[in-house]
Amino acid sequence: MSLPIAGFAALVLATIALVALVVLRPSLMAARGGKILAFVALFFLPLLLTGLGTAAQMEHSKSTRFCLSCHVMEPYGRSLLVDDPAYLPARHYQNNRVPREAACFTCHTDYTLFGDYKAKLRGLRHVYVNYLGTIPKQIKLYEPYNNRECLHCHGGARAFEENEVHQPIRAELAKNATSCLECHDKVHNAHGLAGAKLWQEGKP
Amino acid sequence: MTTVAPHLVRRLQLAGLLVTLGLIVELVTLHWAHPTAFLFFLFLGGLLVTAGVLLYLFAIASPAQPELESRRPPDAAG
Repeated sequence: MSLPIAGFAALVLATIALVALVVLRPSLMAARGGKILAFVALFFLPLLLTGLGTAAQMEHSKSTRFCLSCHVMEPYGRSLLVDDPAYLPARHYQNNRVPREAACFTCHTDYTLFGDYKAKLRGLRHVYVNYLGTIPKQIKLYEPYNNRECLHCHGGARAFEENEVHQPIRAELAKNATSCLECHDKVHNAHGLAGAKLWQEGKP
Repeated sequence: MTTVAPHLVRRLQLAGLLVTLGLIVELVTLHWAHPTAFLFFLFLGGLLVTAGVLLYLFAIASPAQPELESRRPPDAAG
């Protein structure tokens, strides 16, 4: 469940007003109604807002803008815009095969905040390394890319299933025994994009 | 009119301050799409709100302070 930021802000302001009322007029606490008001203002609403805020933060963190907000990810963002259909991320992003506002998350669904507890710890480590550590020159996935992420959309699609190259290895692809990236190997290539022509939407 | 014990008032004020600060931090971080904002939300905003809520629970659950009891005038028999 996610709450629009304006709704969240209104609820925060209402809670602060209630808290101020309880704190500035403590005599209200002597009556039953005042005790209920204090419970709502100092227990129920703050916990509700923290829960709703966490859900909103999780939604934020799926956005492409969020992923690319760290400088180290900028070249990966550029790879979405490279004007070369051979690039897998560019082809998906520019042709709306993935939602543009959640492009990174769509293909990396088990990464950091969205994976298991190990992935979440890695996410915290990334923030630590970003500010206090040494950022590696070459960023690599922790595990080989899983075909599951490709087959989530392509599996069952006619163009994919009837493709004469895919048919003989279909079972291997499903088992992850053969990686999709063995053939579709032009992926981010983030550090080889210096000077590459970038696609600008609306300009031929 | 029944009055509220001063120690309860002090704790409620502190709880209110912590909750208010926590909610402000949470609100501000929601306007910023960055991993650091998530950390501030969780570890600063969440911590302040939790501390405020716990202090409120402590305030309403704790008994009256003994020194307040001892300030009562001695009864006739004493």
